[in-house]
Amino acid sequence: MKFLVVDDSSTMRRIVVNSLQRIGFTDIVEAGDGKEALERYDATIKFVITDWNMPNMTGTELAKALREKGEQVPILMVTARSVREDIIEAMEAGVNNYIVKPFTPQILKEKIDALMSVAAG
Amino acid sequence: MTMAARHEVLYETEAALRLVDHELTALRPDEPVSPTEHPAAMHLRALLNQPEGQPVGLAALPFILERANQEIQAVLANLRDSRDALETATVEKLQHTSEKLKEVTSATEVAATDILDALDRAQNMIDDLDAADAAGEKEKGQHTRDLLREEIFGMMGCLQFQDITTQQLAYASSVLTDMESRLLNIAKLFDPATVMVRAGTQSPDARTFDPNATTRNADQRQAVADEIFK
Repeated sequence: MKFLVVDDSSTMRRIVVNSLQRIGFTDIVEAGDGKEALERYDATIKFVITDWNMPNMTGTELAKALREKGEQVPILMVTARSVREDIIEAMEAGVNNYIVKPFTPQILKEKIDALMSVAAG
Repeated sequence: MTMAARHEVLYETEAALRLVDHELTALRPDEPVSPTEHPAAMHLRALLNQPEGQPVGLAALPFILERANQEIQAVLANLRDSRDALETATVEKLQHTSEKLKEVTSATEVAATDILDALDRAQNMIDDLDAADAAGEKEKGQHTRDLLREEIFGMMGCLQFQDITTQQLAYASSVLTDMESRLLNIAKLFDPATVMVRAGTQSPDARTFDPNATTRNADQRQAVADEIFK
């Protein structure tokens, strides 16, 4: 299963990638912002984990762009933004679930498991 | 006051007024104004330009002073407005910025303490591993190794503070840049010619940070997200 991890902070990308590897996922592509993520996205990507605040293209813009292309890939947002209106905005943009930074590896695993079981039907 | 003293005061006053009259006459725009002349000097020249039939020289002084007074009052009113606008726009932001900067300090300290604690525990585990190896206790050694991996993994999670404090500092930087811009605009009111053009101080891209980013109350904030996405 291939993951796309999108964050402008290389520290955060490393933490998310390390967490995924601990869970057992090793096929991971990284991008520094939404624009780069769109360029790297292809049909082999089965799960997107994205930050919100990024240059060039934000996480919500990335989610909208993917949904407008008809992509149904699960999108998990991992962000410092936690105001209720922001969370609703993310949901309306097409994000499937939401993790507030700082997060624990357990929460990341729970959210991935939940989204994968929904995707599996 | 003696008669001699009165005469002295009158003499001094007359001398002072003649001096003022001389200076005002010298300022009268008989020649075209230099294009590089300071705007304040140009304004003063305009004040001194009395229409035809109006008093000139020393006799015009009361009118000039009255007009100057009106101009000064107008400038003061503008300054009061600017001050109010500056206060309204920045005081709240500065307070928020101050709180965020304090939070950067505390988040850094908490993360450093957590990592140091984890390092202490890791060192103890290495001692336990040595003891288990020496005693030939393979099962205990394996258990300690698993714990050690978890501890090291946990240390990496502590480093998330870096992303959040980066956003807090970016917010503080954007507020300071905004303040600088507002203060420069006020400074231009006084002396437009001498205010230097700012060279390349750029505010951070507002899309790259959340003004409310925090390391605090993560569980409560996650609960809000979970409630919306359930």
